[in-house]
Amino acid sequence: MLREYLPVLLQIIVAIGFAASALLVSIVVGKTGKRTGAKDSAYECGMVPQGEGQSRFSVRFYLVAMLFILFDLEIVFMYPWAVVYKEAIAQSSLVFWSMLSFISILMVGYVYALKKGALDWKK
Amino acid sequence: MIPPPSLEIAVLVLGMVILMLEAFAERIDKRILAFATIGALIAVLIGTWFLAPSPAQEQATGFWSFYTADPLSIFFKRFALLTTILVLIMMIDYAPVVLASIPSTKKQTGLGEFFAIPIFTCAGLMYLVSAIDFIFIFVSLELVTISFYVLVSFTRHNPATLEAGVKYLVLSALSTAFLVYGITWIFGVTGQTNLQRITAALANPEIERGPALFGMVLVLVALGFKIAAVPFQIWVPDVYQGAPTPVTAYLSVGSKAAGFVVLLRVLRPFLMLPQMERLIVLIALLTLLYGNLAALPQSNLKRLLAYSSIAHAGYLLIGVACFDGPAVTFYLVAYLLMTLLSFAVLVIVAQQTGEEISDFDGLAKRSPFLAFAMLIAMASLAGVPLTAGFFGKFFIFYAAIAQRQTALVVVGVITVACGFYYYLKVVRAMYWQPAAKVDNISVNVLSRLAMSALIVAIVWLGIYPAPILEALRR
Repeated sequence: MLREYLPVLLQIIVAIGFAASALLVSIVVGKTGKRTGAKDSAYECGMVPQGEGQSRFSVRFYLVAMLFILFDLEIVFMYPWAVVYKEAIAQSSLVFWSMLSFISILMVGYVYALKKGALDWKK
Repeated sequence: MIPPPSLEIAVLVLGMVILMLEAFAERIDKRILAFATIGALIAVLIGTWFLAPSPAQEQATGFWSFYTADPLSIFFKRFALLTTILVLIMMIDYAPVVLASIPSTKKQTGLGEFFAIPIFTCAGLMYLVSAIDFIFIFVSLELVTISFYVLVSFTRHNPATLEAGVKYLVLSALSTAFLVYGITWIFGVTGQTNLQRITAALANPEIERGPALFGMVLVLVALGFKIAAVPFQIWVPDVYQGAPTPVTAYLSVGSKAAGFVVLLRVLRPFLMLPQMERLIVLIALLTLLYGNLAALPQSNLKRLLAYSSIAHAGYLLIGVACFDGPAVTFYLVAYLLMTLLSFAVLVIVAQQTGEEISDFDGLAKRSPFLAFAMLIAMASLAGVPLTAGFFGKFFIFYAAIAQRQTALVVVGVITVACGFYYYLKVVRAMYWQPAAKVDNISVNVLSRLAMSALIVAIVWLGIYPAPILEALRR
């Protein structure tokens, strides 16, 4: 069984070997230019960068994004449920009540978020 | 008779009701929510005696093939409920610290959530001890862990707590990744996620054992993180020290007990593989040595209890290595009583003076009751006869001797002696050092009642352990 993985091992060796040799050759053969302030800057031949690399923005973006994902994902569960609903409801009402309990759990979360002002941008 | 899963559902509904009350009833004193929760959880605890148990060990209930209500799980449901009730009592004492840490114009901001989230943890623990399918184990473990993320970093304006929260989040997420990866390996080999079917599949001689063993080792990494076994213990001291004290108590009792129940269930299919036992013996030895030796120089009591929690994981792992379920369970019960008692005292004393051992100087003069409670807790943690901790260790070592695990017994006994030194250091501070301050420390009625009950339980189990053993052997 392990023999089947031989190509994978070979590929790993080739990948590491290529990266290592490329680095090695550039050190041995390549020339190092004179170091200047312009040479060491982030964009050697571009605009001079201004301000910070990562600007700060409000933590509310995360909050809203997280809530969006949370309440958006319920649709993923509801589509397959809606597809099989007609056949399943003929056998028992379990399929209806389980979705209702799921929605009501989400509803509690939604009401809580609303009441605590998580969706109120100005607050 | 109550059908088994209804208790967990009741706890979940209770959690949502408390959350809604917190959101809408803004005027009330939020401590009322905690009292209501404690009352409701006691009602659920009484309800566990009316459960209809499954006739056989690990037999699935009804159409839920992933859920069992065997006697072991019902016992640990009571365990989870009792832990949560005691932690909530501690949280009421801890409320001023939480309020002080959250700057807000509104009165009592955040206190309601502090009381509501443990209910969800409790529901997760109750599901977890009943889980006999890897998928269900994973989902309920996540319910426990995610609610702990919030609890650990609750007083987040304190830098130490923030550090604890981040460390817990990162390492816990990593351990979850190990768990899922391990499950996929086991599923890949056996084609099953149900533990009973995995047992049946592994009994087949044609199956490849190697990959299944690899998967099990990965699962063991994840569970080792939960129970704080060496070498997965790095997070324990910092997280235990930084987290709010009642949450630390909850982590060290609830999370650990759940980890051990899952470990006992998950290991059963893999017991026919001899490598597994050797691995657990090795982990147990390392955990015993590390936990006890690292606890020796500690001067902060919360940190000391963190290392002591690692050390106790070592003793429990001896029981797991011998696969003696009742011994492990008895030890966990003793561990629950003595750990929660010591944390309950710590919560009150830390608000008056601090968390260092030197802050306990002369506690016997300032509050004889608290000092006595701490004395009993420390004596039991060390394993002094006539306390529950002594019988816990006794049954574990008895099981190890019966299985001829000489190395485990020798190291275990030596580390017990080690434990006497650092636990009795606290007792020395309380009884033989002069107090810096002389004013009395007051204890409210509910905490006094809970602590008295814990003291009585520890001494009672230390003298007469028969009833709980009877309950376990059945």
